[in-house]
Amino acid sequence: MDNENEYTGADILLKALKDQEVDTIFGYPGGAVLPIYDAIFGQNFLKHVLVRQEAGAVHAAEGYARSSGKVGVLLVTSGPGVTNVVTGLTDALMDSIPIVCISGQVPSHLIGTDAFQECDTTGITRPCTKHNYLVKDVSKLSETIHEAFKIASSGRPGPVLIDIPKDVQFAKSKYIPKKDISFRGHRIKAGSKNVDINFVQELVNHIKNSVRPIFYVGGGCLNSGPQASQELIKLVNKTNIPITTTLHGLGCFPGEDKSSLGMLGMHGNYEANLAMNKCDLMINVGARFDDRVTGRLDAFSPDSVKFHIDIDQSSINKNVKVDFHTNTDITLTLKEINSYIESNNIELEKKDYTNWWGQINDWRKKECLHYEQGEEIIKPQHAISRLYDLTSKNDTFITTEVGQHQMWAAQYYKFSKPNRWITSGGLGTMGFGMPAAVGAQMANPDSLVIDIAGEASFLMNVQEIATAVQYKLPIKIFILNNEYMGMVRQWQELLHGSRYSESYVDALPDFKKLAESFNAVGVRAKNISELDDAINEMVSIDRPVIADIWVDKKENCFPMIPSGAAHHEMLLSKYDKEKPENQEKGKVLV
Amino acid sequence: MSSTSVYPTPINAFKQSKRSVLSVIVDNEPGILARIVGLFSGRGYNIEALNVTVVDIKNNLSRITIETLGEEKVISQIIAQLEKLVPVHSATNLANLSESYEAEICLVKIEFDNNDQDQKILNFADIYRTRTVQKRQNIVVYEISGTSERINKFLDDLNTIGGIKVELVRSGPIGLGI
Repeated sequence: MDNENEYTGADILLKALKDQEVDTIFGYPGGAVLPIYDAIFGQNFLKHVLVRQEAGAVHAAEGYARSSGKVGVLLVTSGPGVTNVVTGLTDALMDSIPIVCISGQVPSHLIGTDAFQECDTTGITRPCTKHNYLVKDVSKLSETIHEAFKIASSGRPGPVLIDIPKDVQFAKSKYIPKKDISFRGHRIKAGSKNVDINFVQELVNHIKNSVRPIFYVGGGCLNSGPQASQELIKLVNKTNIPITTTLHGLGCFPGEDKSSLGMLGMHGNYEANLAMNKCDLMINVGARFDDRVTGRLDAFSPDSVKFHIDIDQSSINKNVKVDFHTNTDITLTLKEINSYIESNNIELEKKDYTNWWGQINDWRKKECLHYEQGEEIIKPQHAISRLYDLTSKNDTFITTEVGQHQMWAAQYYKFSKPNRWITSGGLGTMGFGMPAAVGAQMANPDSLVIDIAGEASFLMNVQEIATAVQYKLPIKIFILNNEYMGMVRQWQELLHGSRYSESYVDALPDFKKLAESFNAVGVRAKNISELDDAINEMVSIDRPVIADIWVDKKENCFPMIPSGAAHHEMLLSKYDKEKPENQEKGKVLV
Repeated sequence: MSSTSVYPTPINAFKQSKRSVLSVIVDNEPGILARIVGLFSGRGYNIEALNVTVVDIKNNLSRITIETLGEEKVISQIIAQLEKLVPVHSATNLANLSESYEAEICLVKIEFDNNDQDQKILNFADIYRTRTVQKRQNIVVYEISGTSERINKFLDDLNTIGGIKVELVRSGPIGLGI
């Protein structure tokens, strides 16, 4: 006799998703998830987005999560379904993006028999998830799903995978709602809720005594929520301290503000990197001293006292030794710093850091982002600048692929709000941007969502244009088409004697016709006179658009700290030559 | 080495080394050992010895003891990485505790040919206070416990006896703070 309070595993999954307020799921069906798809068929709270390959589902879930601040959810089948999401899970782990991946598995009694579409899912995904589960008992399913959402979104966020064998999807049990689950504290890793007041006092004292301070802000500030950004803006305005952000920190602080030095790191601004090199006080807010940011470690900011706010204990002292640190949430910590300064009437306003800002303004005069736009061929930098000028009045979400176009986007597109910039930083996943745009558009149906792409990256997940068409998602794919894997070509030019081994992309499709064949719209700009019209047309069409922008094939991305070099050894243009000894050292690095 | 042997040891002069013994309390659930071993191999850390057993049936907890090599900075990073794993309750470097004790167990099977060897073996067995598990005409099995260094020393001494054949199994160190 069926107990009426008992539900199948598939129904429990859907009840749990509803309980977690999930309204969108990206997925692709297959044999081992058919019971779940059957349950999806009979409900209407959950919108399922059918992708064209599972990689698209995971990047879409990432784009959804980054642009909404919510957990992104995807559903894939066993075997190839789940191996196709390994890249995206790793991407989400590196970039701290909260996603939950549900995967089907062969029935329990077939596990270990090399059954059809069987793979060791938990084994394969263990190093690329924050946590994963194989649910063998349907009575544990509700609790597992709720814990998975909690883990994905707590502390330093990340991907969590739940592998559900097909027989468990059919088996019945009671459903336990989220409110009835008591999470075990040690499993959630939420970081401390108590602000370390000693840290706050030390920091304020150091701010008072420093003459060359700088804020170095990363993606942790984004993950702490929009309020972190508000508190940061307040603190920067109060202290007049210059601020630089990492690739993922873009948008945490308005890029057009006078205090902003822009992005730092390998392709960061000259003034940002020099300021990091010469500062006497570094305040790291949720950044992880990544190798793209630090350059050569033994020459990294040699004279500064370093403060580090990061919820992840393992980010402290991993690459760079810091003097003071706290593992408390950024919003709470910044809030306390602000109120400590206010309640103790600490007059930081009197410190205008005249010499420091004078020095920074001298560095700014180098105009490290300067480029020469001729009268015919479109410079890729100019294409992004025009895109920014023509779309910044909208609340625009930008996703990117990986390579030169990504760095140009980071340099020339300015963000005034968090969560508008969605890019693959840590893993550097080509093919990320278009499915991420699908996810961002699902989360923000009324906003303009643009994937700034290179033609090589775009081709890696080109199939997802069909997803955008099917769900009427008017995403824009803005391809800086130079017919090269530009960043590969740039490194070959700098480090391998311009031997362009396999970096020229021959036999490219006609992107306009490609768009049309998918029932999307194609536009093209071949030269400078067509650029603005192409952008305006792209933005005005309420359908998915591929804009094929033909740009200068030989343009390189500058400024640049070559691998193995330090912040103060930046190359500003192709006329700057790297020290030969650095070049040899850099060659063996990435 | 701040740990003290639970057994008296003939030689006190242990070599200074950068070895650390980490004690990790975890939820006893499928895959936890794979998570820990994978963390070490994936991040390029060393495992010199490893011991895993359930220690609390009621709360379903296991204690995993890992002997590892590395400088202090690396050990701190290992601890931080271990504590990020969801089923991990705590990870402790025994060397950081003010007082901790360490022991390892080793079974040694020794095959010998003559009385001279037998006497030498017996002499070391006596000095190190081994327990005789089994003795036959030309074969003896001892159990020896203590810190790893103590066992190493015993094995080094045995190796000074020519012509014998030694086979052994070791548990790896286990330890407890007070």
